[in-house]
Amino acid sequence: MKPQPVALKVLNVVSVLLFLAALGMVFLYAPLEETMNYVQKIFYFHVANAWVGMLGFIAAAVAGVVYLVKHDQKWDIIELAAVEISLIFFITTIITGSIWARPVWNTWWTWDTRLTTATILEMIYIAYLLLRQGIEDPDRRARFGAVYTIIGAISVPITFLSIRIVSRTIHPVVIGATNGTATGSFNMAPQMLFTMFFALFTFSAIFVTLFWHRIRLGQLAQQVEQLKLEEF
Amino acid sequence: MNNIQEIAEHKPTPGFFSAVGAIIWKDLSAELRSRELLSAMLVFALLVVLIFNFALELDAGTRRVATPGILWATFAFAGTLGLNRSMAVEKDRGCLDGLLLAPVDRSAIYFGKTISNLAFMLIVEAVVLPIYSVLYNTNLFNPGLIVVILLGSVGYVAVGTLLSSMAVQTRTRDVLLPILLFPVVIPILIAAVKASSGFLQGLALTDVMPYINLLIVYDVIFIAAAYMVFDFVVEE
Amino acid sequence: MLEYSVSIKYMLAGYTVFLAVPAVYLISLVIRVRNLKRDLQTMKEFQKKNPK
Repeated sequence: MKPQPVALKVLNVVSVLLFLAALGMVFLYAPLEETMNYVQKIFYFHVANAWVGMLGFIAAAVAGVVYLVKHDQKWDIIELAAVEISLIFFITTIITGSIWARPVWNTWWTWDTRLTTATILEMIYIAYLLLRQGIEDPDRRARFGAVYTIIGAISVPITFLSIRIVSRTIHPVVIGATNGTATGSFNMAPQMLFTMFFALFTFSAIFVTLFWHRIRLGQLAQQVEQLKLEEF
Repeated sequence: MNNIQEIAEHKPTPGFFSAVGAIIWKDLSAELRSRELLSAMLVFALLVVLIFNFALELDAGTRRVATPGILWATFAFAGTLGLNRSMAVEKDRGCLDGLLLAPVDRSAIYFGKTISNLAFMLIVEAVVLPIYSVLYNTNLFNPGLIVVILLGSVGYVAVGTLLSSMAVQTRTRDVLLPILLFPVVIPILIAAVKASSGFLQGLALTDVMPYINLLIVYDVIFIAAAYMVFDFVVEE
Repeated sequence: MLEYSVSIKYMLAGYTVFLAVPAVYLISLVIRVRNLKRDLQTMKEFQKKNPK
């Protein structure tokens, strides 16, 4: 495995520092929310994790398309890395969303649009990983992975819209509510908004760093697999 | 198989539609002779309906509300069976390789398989509906419901044929198809259940239209996507 | 306003998850890299012993 390039080493440090800074902002800078008290502070990292999940989702879909066009294994490695990272960050999003929901709405789970779609997305990711696991030929594995990524990527937005259409007809959306609604709205002070954007920025940096590391892992794995295929 | 050979012998490049037709004819006539696939799907579907009856223990009122859900769950599970068997037969008997050697556009294979899979699924649904009506004393002969079942089945089979082509080439084969298919097919289930429910309850058409539109959009998008991507799934 | 003792408990649970999940993932990355490097070593030695 090639040694870490300087840029990556710098990113490592930057990511850690930004993460600590973001924590600091959440606990020391952002004001306390009126109705929910401390538990609202989950919001900042929850949204940031969801954002990173989205980035990974888009990266995976793009990598899938590019692989089918170019047939370069490199894009398959990128696609797998993106799926894995998106999987991890969406799991965090879902779990913390549930933890936040419990004290505020007295329920561990709400079948609201975003949570449900995120869960379905996780199922698609797991299916993707199981699909790859069942194929030994690297070329076929890459092709099928790309195809399933594309099919999954198309279906998720449609799923999101479908669930939203259903909820709209049951619960008319109340815009700008100050009491807790299903979408968990609360009044955001400017410091809260700034903290949120800083968290988004932090996690974007973390995403790039982790993505890069995971791609390196993928390249090493490809090397090992190629050797094994040659020998056996 | 003979039909495709005949076509290949008579014309240098068989037309797209004749290739599709040949594949459909092959599947349907094979099934007419053996009836394995259809009987398996039918028995399974009826068993699922039976299981739901005991599992849910519904009174008449709740049953009316649950009917669309039970129907679509049944169709989804039986559909998986059909898709799996249909593709497995291709692979095991080497028909897939034969089809690939024939000078036809790959997508003809996709459309041929999809249409025959659709035919099987519709036949099963056509049998389940009257039986369900009788068992639960609900009138299911509702033109709106028929349309929903048609649209939903088309989308289901469009994606299912593509994914089963992949699943059949993996180590885990049959088991993998539901895992791949169900998360992706959820919009169909949502829209179909809601639309079915709307028609059965006699809601106004304007209330049901969003879901019908959703089904149509899904069908169009995924038929197009599967068509574009199918080549990559069967290339060697 | 939600009671302090309840609110802070859930917040801490949430932040534990925020820290723990990526940490576990990072550890898994390190372990996998280590295993792969070892595999690579094994394969290279194997190739040396059985030249083609």
